[in-house]
Amino acid sequence: MLRFILHRFGHSLLLLFLVSILGFTILHLAPGGPLSQFALSPGMTQAELHKIAERMGLNRPLPVQWFDWFTGLVIGDWGHSFRDGRAVLDIIMGHLFATLLLVISSTILSVGLGTLVGVLGATRRYSAFDYLATVGAMIALSIPTFWFGLVAIYVFSLKLGWLPSGNMYSIGDESVLDYARHLIMPSCVLALVQVAIWSRYMRSSMLDVIDQDFVRTARAKGLARSRVLYAHILRNALIPMITLLGIQLPTLLSGALVTETVFTWPGIGRLFLDSLGYNDYPVIMGVLMFTAIFVLLGNLIADILVASVDPRVRLE
Amino acid sequence: MTHDNGTPRAGISRRRLLQTGTAGMTLMMSSVAASRLAAQETSGQVIIGFSQEPTVMHPHMPHIEVDEGIHFNLFDPLFTVDPDGNFQPALVSEVPTVENGGISEDGLNWRVKLRDDVVWHDGEPFTAKDVKFTIELQQNPEFNAMRRTGHELVRNIQIVNDHELTWEMESPFAPYPAILSWTFMVPEHILGSAEDPNQTDFRNNPIGTGPFTFGERVAGNYILLNANPDYFGEGPHLEKAIWRYIPDMTVLYTQFRTGDIDVIGLQGIQPDRFEQAQQIEGREIIVAPSASVESISFNMGKPQFQDPEVRRALSLALDRKSIVEAIYYGVPTPTESFLPKESLYYNQDLPVAEFDPAKAAEVLDAAGWMPGADGIREKDGVRLSFKNSTTAGNSVREQAQQFYQQTLASIGVEMEISNLPPAVMWGEYWQMSEFDTVMVGINFSTGPDPDVSNYLHSSGISAQGGAGQNTWQYKNDRVDELLEKGGSLFVPEKRKEVYDEVQMIVHEDRPFLPIFQYANLRGHKTGLEGFKPNVNVRIETWNVGQWSWADS
Amino acid sequence: MMTTANDVSTKSNRKQGRWMSSRGVRRFVSHRLAITGLLMISAVALLCIVGPWLLPHGMLEINIIDRFKPPGTDDYVLGTDELGRDLAARLFMAGRVSLIVGVAAMILSTLIGTVIGLVAGYFGKVIGTVLMRFTDSVLCFPQIFLLLTLAAFLEPSALMITLIIAATSWMEIARIVSAEIRSLRERDFVTASRISGASHSWIMFRELLPNIVGPIIVAATLTVARAILTEAYVSFLGYGIQPPLPSWGNMLNNAQQYLDTAPWLALVPGVAITIAVTSFNFIGDGLRDALDARSDMP
Repeated sequence: MLRFILHRFGHSLLLLFLVSILGFTILHLAPGGPLSQFALSPGMTQAELHKIAERMGLNRPLPVQWFDWFTGLVIGDWGHSFRDGRAVLDIIMGHLFATLLLVISSTILSVGLGTLVGVLGATRRYSAFDYLATVGAMIALSIPTFWFGLVAIYVFSLKLGWLPSGNMYSIGDESVLDYARHLIMPSCVLALVQVAIWSRYMRSSMLDVIDQDFVRTARAKGLARSRVLYAHILRNALIPMITLLGIQLPTLLSGALVTETVFTWPGIGRLFLDSLGYNDYPVIMGVLMFTAIFVLLGNLIADILVASVDPRVRLE
Repeated sequence: MTHDNGTPRAGISRRRLLQTGTAGMTLMMSSVAASRLAAQETSGQVIIGFSQEPTVMHPHMPHIEVDEGIHFNLFDPLFTVDPDGNFQPALVSEVPTVENGGISEDGLNWRVKLRDDVVWHDGEPFTAKDVKFTIELQQNPEFNAMRRTGHELVRNIQIVNDHELTWEMESPFAPYPAILSWTFMVPEHILGSAEDPNQTDFRNNPIGTGPFTFGERVAGNYILLNANPDYFGEGPHLEKAIWRYIPDMTVLYTQFRTGDIDVIGLQGIQPDRFEQAQQIEGREIIVAPSASVESISFNMGKPQFQDPEVRRALSLALDRKSIVEAIYYGVPTPTESFLPKESLYYNQDLPVAEFDPAKAAEVLDAAGWMPGADGIREKDGVRLSFKNSTTAGNSVREQAQQFYQQTLASIGVEMEISNLPPAVMWGEYWQMSEFDTVMVGINFSTGPDPDVSNYLHSSGISAQGGAGQNTWQYKNDRVDELLEKGGSLFVPEKRKEVYDEVQMIVHEDRPFLPIFQYANLRGHKTGLEGFKPNVNVRIETWNVGQWSWADS
Repeated sequence: MMTTANDVSTKSNRKQGRWMSSRGVRRFVSHRLAITGLLMISAVALLCIVGPWLLPHGMLEINIIDRFKPPGTDDYVLGTDELGRDLAARLFMAGRVSLIVGVAAMILSTLIGTVIGLVAGYFGKVIGTVLMRFTDSVLCFPQIFLLLTLAAFLEPSALMITLIIAATSWMEIARIVSAEIRSLRERDFVTASRISGASHSWIMFRELLPNIVGPIIVAATLTVARAILTEAYVSFLGYGIQPPLPSWGNMLNNAQQYLDTAPWLALVPGVAITIAVTSFNFIGDGLRDALDARSDMP
């Protein structure tokens, strides 16, 4: 088991290394630069901007800049934002709570709802419900998330006035209820795609288990239908779902980014988009690395979990 | 003369007062008891919505206009500029002028007298040392200064005493008072000892003299400022001021409508919502003129635009009235100049640019630009075809681009829209004149001062090795001469003649076609008093210290 | 994301397929969703191709007086936009752009993915490991983050956005192909051609590739669906297709501002995107049932 974990861990580190080179190169080869936002300021000149760039070390050869940055990354110094000079890790941590709140609440929502729909679909295969769920899931996967968010804002904020159209809480009223009110729309919008994915996976996973021998045996032994369903099928069907949680992390984060931009949610996605607009390289790279680590860690944990549940995996 | 020449009596007494007593004691003993009384009665708070996030708290490091919205309330300049363009004393006891002897007749010698009752937010007295430090900081070659113009000319700063100092100017520079009105004083006792002036904690823990002290900043969310009970001037009347960052215009407006924010600031209400916004109960909508002028800017280094007749024709094809009235809902005002209409220096006699596409076609015909095989005009192998760029994602501007594009197509001129992400757009593409044409809003003037050398003097062409923002690559010897003259004159009436002529020449040369002078739609809840638009600054939250709620 | 989700429906439908015919085409035809999808996308494509000819106004015709006319006003079937242009005309033209970008991005990414997957799967060892590690490293960035980084720094145009989408969506196909190839590599027919002196490229493209056309086509169909969504999002943020060329995404970018005054501007393109993407997802689902080699096995 330990060897398996170490192997996976080494693999992940190598990936991170590649990721860092890739991201850094893309970013720095692009035209423009972090200082161009000041070009329109009265009194600013190109010559002055050049000097500032030099002082910030932006004129050094790319590999040198990368090496500096990467060694910093390894020892936990992720650089400082070009905008406010704060440490990148601090900035990311400051935005992490909002993203986690959104991601976790929508995951709970989608896992719950998705499991329910999947189980019902699998146990009533080819019923009207099953068919509707299939079609519904595919349509849900086809709706642009950002557009769905806009429609939700139009209906629930602009027309009905029930829910706030953005932000995480009202200033002055930071009660749980206030957070909840702000959370409803974004987490539902983000959950839309996730519910669809979960219900489809759950359904197929259930069907795979239902067709397996031990279930037939259990049924043949005369166990009650509900007992079979919950004790045997559901438990076994949920194991592959652990992996799914890991695999779905990038999708979930992408979805969170889109949702955050529509609902002006002060999370990492919003931070990323803002940083892109200002060419804040250290923060952009920080967020890219952070999400990559997050994804790798998610996959690693999922793998370990599955391996501990199902010994066959370790042999591979 | 040494730094410690003067008698720091007032400063010491102030400090002692702070150490021994409460603010109430200060109040009784202070010479400016009246204003302090006002400062004591702070109540309530205001939430201001901004669609951009202020992040740079150090007023002299590179920043954008939204940051100044905070600077104005944390810091003070020596003197401020009011909406009418007059300087009002802030940290000085009187604004230095030629009349009162603060500035010598030739503009070369300055004498500045400071108030003696000002303390920094940390309790240290504000003195001449801080002024000297602030100006010298802008000259420090190691410092990433936002603005060196003007400060570079200051020489030999002498501290007469704690509250008086003198300096010399290398050459007379008329815009300097205007620049000083934007130069916030920073504390020497905190920044002076910094090893690297660019890496200080000041960026996140700013200390000023302003009506508010820095509370906290939750990145991506809001900035909180608290009332400064020891403020020397009028106000503050509010206990707290909060700037909320709401990056989406629809959300910003919705929150203003629902009352989640009290004031809708930067980017404000979009013109298409003007009518609707005026119907909201309990809100006041303000049309705040801004000094920024929207224009179609030509890169005169490109062969298409070297012929003045082409620029004239393109002006004739620009339907400014429709753009202003339909696309911008009549909020901004059409203009002929680069200076704001509120300015004393605005040339009222400029002819109004007409819209006449038929005549535009005639002009091009007469100049020898004839339609080629594809219907696009050309002359000597140069096609009358060009790109027009602006910041991607600005949908209102995109409408104006497309509208202009249609008119141009009808007279055989091809305009291709190529909008770029901001970081690319305003990088070398703009600064080094790599563009064809750009649709852009520029604030040409320095506060109330009409000096535009940075933009229109031929020495300001970065693409040709100059230092400035003359990205049009505009060159006119007479304009150069006039700008040099205007920069050394201190009598407004004489300067006006010079800048009137500059405006007339530029209007004829057309390095850019002014479309309109911006007006921003701002709004606040009824009952908020003191909100005053100011065309001479870049941001509407320049005087939050004077804001108050009517019923409280 | 769609690939993975639809993976699942295949497995379940596979069982359904067993008691139908085993012929791919017939199974596809009998797949109700797939046929619905095919009909839907055909209708959309037809409208986009023919539509602009049938309408009285061109997509670039600006009529500043006729701004924001709601659907059904005068001869504007879907109303007008912020410059008084016919929304229907723009919708159809935008459809052409979005569909072309989607399909072109699909072709490109399928090409890249297939070649990388093929080479990695066939050669294995060092080349295979390096290529697949590279694929993995691209894959562990959330796609949108990578895509926006590219889009924010490159000059936006229809071609550029196509390239960017292709560059960020080939990884899954590469993975599928390399996995399939690895399992085929040791089969007898490959060994036979190797012994008979066939070149590597012959074996890869002539012997192996035809065997995995099925999964590639399925993945490609779903890539179109995703590419359309991606284009819409990037253009929505203003980094994509530039005006006056409309795309469904940039129509939404402009519409967002007028959400409360002219909601149809946002509604119409959004519905169009959903219909088109749903069609491709339906078709992909059906194709998987029809072409997936594995489903022929008992």
